[in-house]
Amino acid sequence: MKERAAIIGVGQTPYKSHHDYTIPELSQQAAMEALDMAGMSMDDIEAVVYSMAPSEFLGVNEPDKWCVDAVGGRNKPFMRIHTGGATGGSAAQAGFFHVASGLFESVLVVGADKVRECTDSQQVLNTIWDPVYERQFGLDTIAMAAFQAVRRMYKYGTTEEQMARVAVRLLQNGLNNPKAHLKGKITIDDVMNSGYYEWPIKKFDTCPSSAGGAAVVIVSEEKAKKLCNRPAWINGCSEIANTVFMGDQMGGAAEMDYADWDELAIAAKEAYGQAGITNPKKEIQVADVYAPFTVTDLAICEALGFCDKGESEKLNEEGFFDMDGEIPISPSGGSLCTNAIAVTALARVCDAALQVLGKAPGKMQVKNVSNAVATGIGGSFQFHTIMVLGSDYN
Amino acid sequence: MAKDNKGMTLKGGWNVEYNYAVGKPGAKFLNSLKNDKKIIAPKCPKCGLVMLPPRAFCERCFVPAEEWVEVGNEGTIQAFTIVPVKFVDHPEPPYAIAYVMLDGANTAMVNLVKNMDLSDLGKAAEKLAIGNRVKVVFEKKREGSVNDFHYELM
Amino acid sequence: MTENVAILGVGMTKIEGSKTDQKLDDMIFEATSRALQDASVTRDDIDSVVISACDELDGRCISSMVLATPAGSYLKDEIKVTDDGSYGVILGAMRILSGLFDLSLVVSWCKTSEAPVAEVMNVRWDPFYHRGFGLNHITSDALMAGAYLNKYKISEEIPAKVVVKNRKNGTKNKNAHLQEPVTLDEVKSSPVISLPIRELEYAPESDGACALVLASPRKVKDLNRNPVWLRGFGWAIDSYYLGERDLADSNSLRIAAKKAYEMAGISNPMEEIDVAEISDFSAYHELVAYEGLGLCDRGKAADMVEKGFTEITGKLPVNPSGGLLSSNPFTAAGLFRVCEAYLQVAGRANDHQVPAVEKALAHGSTGFCAQGNSVFILGK
Repeated sequence: MKERAAIIGVGQTPYKSHHDYTIPELSQQAAMEALDMAGMSMDDIEAVVYSMAPSEFLGVNEPDKWCVDAVGGRNKPFMRIHTGGATGGSAAQAGFFHVASGLFESVLVVGADKVRECTDSQQVLNTIWDPVYERQFGLDTIAMAAFQAVRRMYKYGTTEEQMARVAVRLLQNGLNNPKAHLKGKITIDDVMNSGYYEWPIKKFDTCPSSAGGAAVVIVSEEKAKKLCNRPAWINGCSEIANTVFMGDQMGGAAEMDYADWDELAIAAKEAYGQAGITNPKKEIQVADVYAPFTVTDLAICEALGFCDKGESEKLNEEGFFDMDGEIPISPSGGSLCTNAIAVTALARVCDAALQVLGKAPGKMQVKNVSNAVATGIGGSFQFHTIMVLGSDYN
Repeated sequence: MAKDNKGMTLKGGWNVEYNYAVGKPGAKFLNSLKNDKKIIAPKCPKCGLVMLPPRAFCERCFVPAEEWVEVGNEGTIQAFTIVPVKFVDHPEPPYAIAYVMLDGANTAMVNLVKNMDLSDLGKAAEKLAIGNRVKVVFEKKREGSVNDFHYELM
Repeated sequence: MTENVAILGVGMTKIEGSKTDQKLDDMIFEATSRALQDASVTRDDIDSVVISACDELDGRCISSMVLATPAGSYLKDEIKVTDDGSYGVILGAMRILSGLFDLSLVVSWCKTSEAPVAEVMNVRWDPFYHRGFGLNHITSDALMAGAYLNKYKISEEIPAKVVVKNRKNGTKNKNAHLQEPVTLDEVKSSPVISLPIRELEYAPESDGACALVLASPRKVKDLNRNPVWLRGFGWAIDSYYLGERDLADSNSLRIAAKKAYEMAGISNPMEEIDVAEISDFSAYHELVAYEGLGLCDRGKAADMVEKGFTEITGKLPVNPSGGLLSSNPFTAAGLFRVCEAYLQVAGRANDHQVPAVEKALAHGSTGFCAQGNSVFILGK
């Protein structure tokens, strides 16, 4: 059967709009920090998984090849994973499978991105749509969020203020994260007055375009017990794909509504099952989730089983998901504070792992974490990844 | 917030053009727009799903979809947005995008909603509310692309 | 490795120069449907999909958005690699070995007729130190060819003979893109496209998609099958910087082959392997691969060719399918090699079947001058 695997080191560069460092350099910096935490050297790593999403932002095709040397990949098994925004989550999973298969005892999962290296990321993100049927209409990722928002408004009566409340929480959390790109104390009014990008999505409802690198070191049970006194065990992982056609998830014949992330709920059920979690509300103490727009955070909380559909708006308003609430969501500030697309989902894994490892800085650390969840999202909100980390294995 | 560095940069870019084959179902659909001003859609033989945009197979049942039906020229809005800002390679703002379930189809298809007042976003959003009806309007000059038609409020 | 991974079936489209009658989605659906049918399983039975593709050649940024569902991924656990189609087999196999999955599709494709290949390849070079020098895949690979020629001073007949061999084999493969033979003279007089590589010595640009179905041992038992087994596999990568590599010798291929042979219990590949499908992006790639795979000593690939060891009637036939020199759907190239190796072991390679195959080798590569390599051993 499968071999157990744990994360014993994570690394992230500080995230900014622009970094002078190149992609290989940012990857190396993140890798070194992760190896440091793991108490390992590059030579101790047996295989490398590179996390890289659309390379059109930074303008070099297959940049993973360019980074081989910088991340100690020379002469080693090396592969790149790409599932759009979910890439970092998928890469972490690929790393997990290297170890769980029994073939490797140590794997480095690493990547970096520089989303602002191009002029306009939404120009690139327009080209992800079908060239014959959908690209012509100015579709991009902000439009996706707009469609989800209007469907939640229709289905659950979600208001723009309720979406804004998510931004208040996340930006505030960013203040506790030295790596976060955006951070600050903002009010609902600040969000409401930030100007529309694509109705009803406003500037402060939207993630930034960030640059930076992230890495995790995943090792076998034997190595984890030897090198780390509190490993973050990878107890569950799953991912799922849906169609690119958003219109298939609206109205009568839809198997799931675009207002919800039922796909994530399916993947979560599988991951929870692997981890032996039967009551996520009670058994999960923290989640660091990939919510690039405020509205998506609401859908995620429901998909992860923390509340019923349509309830997250109210709970969020009441502070249920705040740092001092029942289930803190994204103590790192999440993807609304930082979105270096190629590694954003990997950063979520890093931040969830920090919680279990007990190594999150200062106020970012949630107390008594036994189980943490990290999620990733990609495509037309169609690719979802989830990883369940625990202080113990089942 | 960390300060951005200001180091040496190199300007560059590339222009890569592709020739996308639209496939037989695509050609059938696009020619029907151009020549007949009709929207036709394939139907899954197993689950009966009438699919727009058209595709050669049903993703759910994973079987080829070779039967075609004509769908109506009116439909119901399922999602929308209004864009007041300019993005590179996007239409000139302001513009409205909507996913519409045309009568007889089981999935919603995207296009622009034209000829409406977009100066007040809130008011425009009300007009585009989910459940409202739109009609398909064909352009006078058609070239066999999804730009051959657009939606208008009824 | 305590358990093996089985291959239950494969699906391949015909490889052609330009499949303009099919949208890329439809070509992928065709290969995937064929694989499911060949394996006698349905999409419902599948619990994992691993796809392998290149956005820039697909002309769709995040191409899996549009193309995951044609590969059978609707509401399935799906993941994508980009290096080469064969890497999908690697990740698919690891997923099954973990015990979390039992039946996985692996799908890969490329429609080079839609993309400006050379431009895409040029942009794979970093913009600071490489891109400005007209380096694309052909000109970069020419550096490798030149390094090999310079080191071993082989006659130009040798790479030409490799081309003649593979193109002749291609005439027997109904699925191949190029199905006409070429003569030694035709190869030697074809124009130089990037010194020293001649036009006929470089693989063509083709459209094609293929897929296969992997299964766990318990699934094989459940379904009561007698499959082809993946007996061993390995992969490794070299430095990005060509100047830091000995281009005449594939270090990463040696490492990958060693791992695959170890897993499969092979100590003398030339004796123990019955047929090989190698990624011959150029005739020189094949020569370097003979050595990297340990089929002969360094510098002795020419001997192998002179002695006809790798001809279809030789000691170890290489590329009975015609190889990439006959059909080159770039990103999918390595997965086609695995599919062809499967057919050889299963005894289903029809007109290009090598007799009495017990063990077959498949090889994939990725990056300039085969920066990364993957090796697979398949057997009954």
